[in-house]
Amino acid sequence: MIQYAAIILFVFGLYGLFTNKNVIKMIVSLNIMELGLNIFIISIGFVYDGIAPIITSTSGSGLLYVDPLPQALVLTAIVIGVGTTALALAVAKSIHNKYNTLDLGELEDIL
Amino acid sequence: MSAILLVAIPLLVAFLSILFKKISPYLLLGVTLFNIVLLLVLSDGFVVIGGFNQPMGINLLLDMYSRLGLLLINVLVFVIAILNLKKYEKYSSILLIAVAGLNGLILTNDLFNLFVFLEISGIAAYLITTSNKKPVGTFHYLVLGVVGSSLFLFGVIILYSMFGTLNMVGMIQEIQATNNYKELILPFILMFIGLGVEAKLLPFNSWAKGVLGKSNTLSGPMIAGVYAGAMGFVLGRLITNLFMFEGTLLTVVIVILAVGIVMGDAMAFASNKVREILLFSSIAQASIVALLFVNGVVIWAVYLIIANALSKTVMFLVINKATKDVGSDNVDKLKGLFSNNVVVGVAFTLVTLSVMGLPLLVGFVVKLNFLTVLAANNQIWLIAVILVAAIVEGIYFVRLLVKLWYPDGNEIDVKYNVSFKVVFVIIALALLSFGTYSTPLKELDNSVDTVMEVVDNG
Amino acid sequence: MKNIFGLLISLLLGVFIILALDSSVSFPEFGSAVISDRVSDNYLDEDNIEDVGSANIVTAIVVGYRGFDTLGEVTVLFVSALGVALVLGSSKKQARMDLKFKPNFMLRIGSKVLFGIILMTSIYIIFHGHLTPGGGFPGGAIIASAILLMYLADDKFRSNVKGFKILEGVAGSLFVVIGLLGLVVASYFLQNFLPVGTVGNLLSAGIIPIIYVLIGLKVGSEISGIVDNFLTEEESL
Repeated sequence: MIQYAAIILFVFGLYGLFTNKNVIKMIVSLNIMELGLNIFIISIGFVYDGIAPIITSTSGSGLLYVDPLPQALVLTAIVIGVGTTALALAVAKSIHNKYNTLDLGELEDIL
Repeated sequence: MSAILLVAIPLLVAFLSILFKKISPYLLLGVTLFNIVLLLVLSDGFVVIGGFNQPMGINLLLDMYSRLGLLLINVLVFVIAILNLKKYEKYSSILLIAVAGLNGLILTNDLFNLFVFLEISGIAAYLITTSNKKPVGTFHYLVLGVVGSSLFLFGVIILYSMFGTLNMVGMIQEIQATNNYKELILPFILMFIGLGVEAKLLPFNSWAKGVLGKSNTLSGPMIAGVYAGAMGFVLGRLITNLFMFEGTLLTVVIVILAVGIVMGDAMAFASNKVREILLFSSIAQASIVALLFVNGVVIWAVYLIIANALSKTVMFLVINKATKDVGSDNVDKLKGLFSNNVVVGVAFTLVTLSVMGLPLLVGFVVKLNFLTVLAANNQIWLIAVILVAAIVEGIYFVRLLVKLWYPDGNEIDVKYNVSFKVVFVIIALALLSFGTYSTPLKELDNSVDTVMEVVDNG
Repeated sequence: MKNIFGLLISLLLGVFIILALDSSVSFPEFGSAVISDRVSDNYLDEDNIEDVGSANIVTAIVVGYRGFDTLGEVTVLFVSALGVALVLGSSKKQARMDLKFKPNFMLRIGSKVLFGIILMTSIYIIFHGHLTPGGGFPGGAIIASAILLMYLADDKFRSNVKGFKILEGVAGSLFVVIGLLGLVVASYFLQNFLPVGTVGNLLSAGIIPIIYVLIGLKVGSEISGIVDNFLTEEESL
């Protein structure tokens, strides 16, 4: 179920990129797309009845853990998403400084 | 001395360069020189990181294929940095990160690591394009790049959940063991689209017009020369070893690439702005390179990538310098550019003739050889498409050259520094000499890419 | 017209992905992933856990087994912060942007109390990265959020930008230097050359806590730098 939701979020974000012309809305759509992707990545590591992969004093051997590798991958993917979002927002501010609008539809006529 | 230094030293110097802003351009030159020297002394093989053997850790693969790619990138960045030191010194930290990212991209043997380095190189590229002072073009490039990387990551994750490993060699072994190509179609399409955005394959190359059409002497050669070359090498590595298209997917991919070649050359023919002509020609050449890899012609595709990267660097440098001085890149405004700059003109002409594939230049040797191999594989339609595209290419390049040589009443005043001229002459001579004396090219063959060898021998 | 085209493409992609994954034999159902077929089986193996020494296995992967990816991730953040400074910064003197809302006295003083508490939380999260979920990245983001709180609560506040830049450069270089030390001392880049200790102690897992502290400082200073770039502009005379 959750994997369907993640894929739908991913597709929503993609649709938002196609249809929006406002720069900030495009950045939000990018983030929604990355969110869907990250949820999908975590979901492939899930094991029913598995516990978090942290060794505590109450854990013995033979316990069922969930897959820790997708969680590590998502850590990296989230941070990369933050980096690109920050850069995209800076470019958006630079567009506003230069053309005084945030709507790419208006700018298509000028450029 | 380990190949990891090719990535670690540029990163270390980049982190330190924000503290020593004054000397950062010289640090950049020093690092690229160090990389070139290191490449000549390193020996082939796997580099294990962290002491964790595969499949637990990450490892890098240095073989002849990666060595050629790494040499190309570091030499070109060194050249471009020398020519742009004075004007673009703020960008030296970013160029250092770009060097580290592109080196890692070609060296890596792990799919998620490829994604991380794809993002590093991508962000460095977006920042290099901000030097054009056209934020809308940069934004468009950024959005398309992020979508491409996300699709690539999606494909990698699906592959991981199917086969349980992220190591490229391990993954290929597992895929060969299960031998069910139908379920691999989805992840391979996603990964191919993801890389195709950066590599300027149709239909995801709409960013190229905004970025390269308004480029300058730093961003033009970097994006069209260095990045195009690196992405070609990465795409080649993945296509020949991992994707290995077959069946309907193979036909679909070949059709898309063939359409890309035709459209690229058609749009170059229809344009009258020199930068657009060059960038559409780059798009067509990128599709040709991908087509060659899909057909298994590895070594001639590698030579084509190298020849194109060198040629496009020279062409963009010449044209962007002229555009900066004249103020426009319309062909009519640039008429007669070479009548006062004969040395530059001769170098530009030689380079262009090499891209077209005229005899005596390396472009002809490469084209002849890969067309022969394609004919041996009975790919008649592809040969027809490539020949038609070559004819169209010939027409618009000759038209361009004629306009650039004869002033026809146009007053133009562009001066090139000595350093520019030296670079142009060296590259043009290299293309000329390998065209006439092409025996060294025949020494290497398709076995430069050793991944399949490793997979088979374990 | 473009909207319908976009809708069609997105729907087609979504349907294609869902159908392909549903009908695929190797793609496991949600919740029934077989760990023993995957490389994570090695990560969860008890001998390997004692070799690396970290109780939090995700941390062991992020900083230990796949530390090279983490170095790349840190680089991404570095180059983004550099890019934001390049695009939005300038060489002239900068001052706080004049915004429409003006915070009042209570907000300015109250936020200073919160600042201390938030900073303590972030330090706890960073130091315990190898024992509990968290680590350098969330800790660094929390440091940056504390700085953001100060920026929003006081319209005259500017953090020490020069100091943060130096901290960022030094922390990043130290990360690569630790990796190179691994290459020189122990023969592989980023190899653990410090004693590992027992799993579960605060002082365990070799170089992992040290790297996480460096990452936390770097991430915190970078995002604070980004916040500063967005909220300042050239001083109008």
